[in-house]
Amino acid sequence: MTRFGILATTAAAIIAVVLPFFLKPFGIYLISMWAVLTIAAIGLNLTLGYAGQVSMAQGAFVGIGAYTVALLTQAGCPFALAFAAAGVLCFAIGWMLGYPALRVAHHYLAFVTLAFTTLVFLVLRNEEWLTGGTYGINGILRPAFFGLSTAKPQPFYYFCLGTLAVLALATWWMLRSPWGRAFKGLRENPIRAQSLGIDTRRYTLMAFAIGAGLGGLSGALYAPLVQFIEPGSFALGLSFNLLLMVIVGGSGYFFGPFVGALVAVLLPEWMRIAEGYYLIVYAVAVMVMMAFCPSGILGLVERIRNAASRSDRAAPALRAEGAGP
Amino acid sequence: MASLIQLLVSGLATGAIYALIAVGFTLLWQTSQTINFAQGEFVMLPAFFILAAMNWGAPFWLAAPIGVAVSILVLGVLFKLVIVDPMLKYGVLPLVISTIALSLFLKESAKDFYSSQAQPFPALVPATDIHVFGAVVSTQSLAVLMVAIVTVGALHLLLNKTRLGRSMQATAQNPVLARILGIPVERMVLYTFLINAVLVAIASILVSPIYLAKFSNGETLGLAAFTAAIIGGFNQVRGAIAGGVILGVLDNLSAAYLSSQYRGAIPLIILIAVILWRPQGLFGRVEERTV
Amino acid sequence: MSAVLEVSHLRKSFGGITAVDDVSFEVRDGEILGIIGPNSSGKSTLFNCVLGQLRPSGGEVRVGGRTTTGMRPCDLNRLGVSRTFQLLQVFPQLSVRDNLILAGQEHQGSMVARLIGRADAGLGEAVDRMIAFFNLAHLAAEPAGALSYGQQKLLDAAMAFMAGPRLVLLDEPAGGVNLTMLSQLRERLAAYHAERNATFVVIEHQMEFVMALCTRVLVLAEGRIIAEGAPHEIRRNPVVIDAYLGH
Repeated sequence: MTRFGILATTAAAIIAVVLPFFLKPFGIYLISMWAVLTIAAIGLNLTLGYAGQVSMAQGAFVGIGAYTVALLTQAGCPFALAFAAAGVLCFAIGWMLGYPALRVAHHYLAFVTLAFTTLVFLVLRNEEWLTGGTYGINGILRPAFFGLSTAKPQPFYYFCLGTLAVLALATWWMLRSPWGRAFKGLRENPIRAQSLGIDTRRYTLMAFAIGAGLGGLSGALYAPLVQFIEPGSFALGLSFNLLLMVIVGGSGYFFGPFVGALVAVLLPEWMRIAEGYYLIVYAVAVMVMMAFCPSGILGLVERIRNAASRSDRAAPALRAEGAGP
Repeated sequence: MASLIQLLVSGLATGAIYALIAVGFTLLWQTSQTINFAQGEFVMLPAFFILAAMNWGAPFWLAAPIGVAVSILVLGVLFKLVIVDPMLKYGVLPLVISTIALSLFLKESAKDFYSSQAQPFPALVPATDIHVFGAVVSTQSLAVLMVAIVTVGALHLLLNKTRLGRSMQATAQNPVLARILGIPVERMVLYTFLINAVLVAIASILVSPIYLAKFSNGETLGLAAFTAAIIGGFNQVRGAIAGGVILGVLDNLSAAYLSSQYRGAIPLIILIAVILWRPQGLFGRVEERTV
Repeated sequence: MSAVLEVSHLRKSFGGITAVDDVSFEVRDGEILGIIGPNSSGKSTLFNCVLGQLRPSGGEVRVGGRTTTGMRPCDLNRLGVSRTFQLLQVFPQLSVRDNLILAGQEHQGSMVARLIGRADAGLGEAVDRMIAFFNLAHLAAEPAGALSYGQQKLLDAAMAFMAGPRLVLLDEPAGGVNLTMLSQLRERLAAYHAERNATFVVIEHQMEFVMALCTRVLVLAEGRIIAEGAPHEIRRNPVVIDAYLGH
C-alpha cells in the first residue's frame, strides 16, 4: 500500500474505534449499520468488481442470513454456530444458483439473481409457519461472549466492527493470494487467462459464492442489530442499495465497499430535508457517475492523485493501487 | 374444460403483452447491445403519462396518443441520447448498471411525483363477457389479443417487407458491413429505440386496466420480459414472442391450479429450467466460444 | 518418435464459408513447425480450433495421443498446451512479475492449496529465472501495460513458457516487432527450444523469421494444405509461390 493509503486507513481505523464515545445511541446504531452493510458490500464487490458479474440477490442473501440466525438463536442454538450456518448456507445457495447461470454468457446471472430475490421474498412472506410471514420475527437477542453481553449499543458496535475487521482481513488475504491474482487476471484479460489454465468459470463462480456467503454473514449481524426482521427489508430494494453502494464507492477497489456503505447509510440522514427523495438522488448520482466516472469515488480519488503526480511516474498507475502491493 | 379455455384465452392475452415487452427488449439488445434493465419500468410509465394528460382534462382517446408520443420522446429519444450513448464506450457492464439505476429512478419518481396508490386505468373496450364454446371469455382479453397481434403483425411487416426494416435488420446483424453499404447505422439504432418506446407504450395501455397503474408494476413486468427473452433465445425476435406467450399461459395456468401465492416464482423456475437444460432457448443457437 | 499433436480431417465452417477444409497433419516431438499462407488462408481459424477457442465443424485433434477436440482452453493448458497471441497479450495492470506468476500458478497444487499457501504460489525463483532468460529483469516491477510492444511480445512468450508446456503454439509472434527486438525474440525462442526440447507450432507471415526458426513448414491456402517440407524446399515450391502471387 502507498504511504497515503496507510495513513488514510490508520486514520479511519482510529476514528472508527473512538467514534462511539462521541455519539448518541442512534448515531452508534448508524455506524453499526455501516459496519454490517459493509460486510455485504465487500461480498458484492467480489462478485461485481473482481469477477465482473451483476448480482441482484445480495439483499436476499442478507435476508437468508438474518432469518437463519434469528430462527436458530431463538431455538436455542449458540450464536457462533448460527453465524457460521448463515455463511455456509448462503455460500452453498450461491454456488447452486451460479453454477447453471454462469455457464452461459449474456449476463444471465443478473436475471437469475433478480428472479431469485423475488422468490426469496415470496418464501419469506408466505411460509408463515417458519418465518412468521409479514409479521416477521421479533425480539431477536444480541449475543453474549464469555459473559460479556452485547445488548447495549456500544458493545454491539464493537462486535460488528470486530467482525468486519476479521472478514475484511480474510478477504484481503484471499486477494493477495494466487486467487486474487486470478481474479485480477480474469477481470483484465479473460481470454489470455483461460489460455494460461485459469478456469475463469470456476473462479467467477467462487467469487459469486463467497460474495453470497459474506452476504449471509452480514445478515447474521443484521438480525441482532435491528432485533426485528420482516420480509420487506430484504426485497429488491436492499439488493439495489448494496449494488449502488459498491458502485458509488468504487467497484473493484478494496476499500470501495467501506466508502459506499458510508454514503448509503449517511445519505438518508443528510437528505432528511428532502425526505423520501434520497433514493431518486442516489439513482441519479449513479447514472451520472456511470457516465463520467464509472470507477466510483475511489476511482475519482485515484484519478486526481494520478493527475497530480503525473510528472513523477512514466507508467500509468495501477488501478488496484489502494488494494495492496 | 370451459374454465381451461378461459384460462388459455386470458393466458394468451397476458402472454401477448409479455411478448410485446420482450420483443422490444430483444430488439434493443440486437441492434445496440443494450440490456435494458428498466424495461419493466418503461411499461409502467406510459400509463402515468396518459393519466397525467387526463388529469389536465384530455379525454382518453386523446390522452392515449399523447402518452404514446411522450413515451417515444422520453423512453426512446432521451433514453438513447442521455443514457445509452454516453455509456456505450465503457462497455456492456456500466450500461447494465445505468439501466438498473434508471429503473430505480423511474419507479421512485412515479411513486413520489404521482402517487404510491394503484390508479384505475380506462380499458379499451368495456369489460363484458361473451360465450364461446360454452366458456366465458372476457372481451378485454380478446381486445388485448387483437391489439397485440396487429402490433406484432405491423412490426413484422415493417422489419421484413420495408426497405427501412431490412436496413434495421442489416444493422443488427453486421453494423460494420451495414455502414459500408451506406446504411445510416446511427439512425437505424435510434429507430429501434423508438420502436421499443411504442411497443412498451402499447403494452402499458393494454396491461394497466388489468393490473391498475402502480409504480411497482415494473418489477414483475420486467422479470417477465427478461424471462421471455431468455426462453426465446435472447437474440431472436420470434423467440421473444414465443417466450412471452408461453410465459403468459404458464403463469395463468399455474396461478389457477397451483398456489397463487407463489405466482411470482414461475418466471424463476422457468428461467432456471431453461438455463439448465437449454441455455440457448427455443430459437437460439449454441454459443460459439469467443476467439 | 511420438506425435505431440495430431490434427485429422479438421474442418471449420462459418455459415456458407469453409475456413478450414479437411486439414490433417502431425507435429513430432521437438519439432518447430511453421504454418504459412496468404491472408485468410485459415491459419488463425486452424489455431483457434486446435486451442479450443472455436468448436470445429468436423475432424479431430489429439494431443499426446489424447483426444482434445472442443476442449476448453484452460483444460487444454493443463494438458501442457500453451499459446501466444497476435493481440491481447498481457495483463496490463499487473506487474511483469505478477504476469509470470499468474501464467504458472494454476499448475501449482490444488485450488484450495493456492488459497492458503504462499502469495507467489512458490514460483518466485522460477519467475526470476524466466525474467532473466528474456532479459526483462530491469522491468520486473513495472506494470506490463507500460512495456514497449516488442517487450510485451517477449513477456507473452515468457508467459506461455512458464508452466513448462510440451507444446507451444505461437500466433504471429513477429507481427509488428522492430528488427532488433525481432532477432532477440527469435534467438530466445530458439534458445528455449534447444534447452527444453520443446515443440513449437508457429503461424507467421514474415518469411525470414519462419525460415530461420522452423525445421518444417506447412503451407495453407484457402483452408487446405498445399505444400509441406523443409523451409528451403518450400521457398522454391512453384505451387506455394503461385498461391502467394495469385492473391
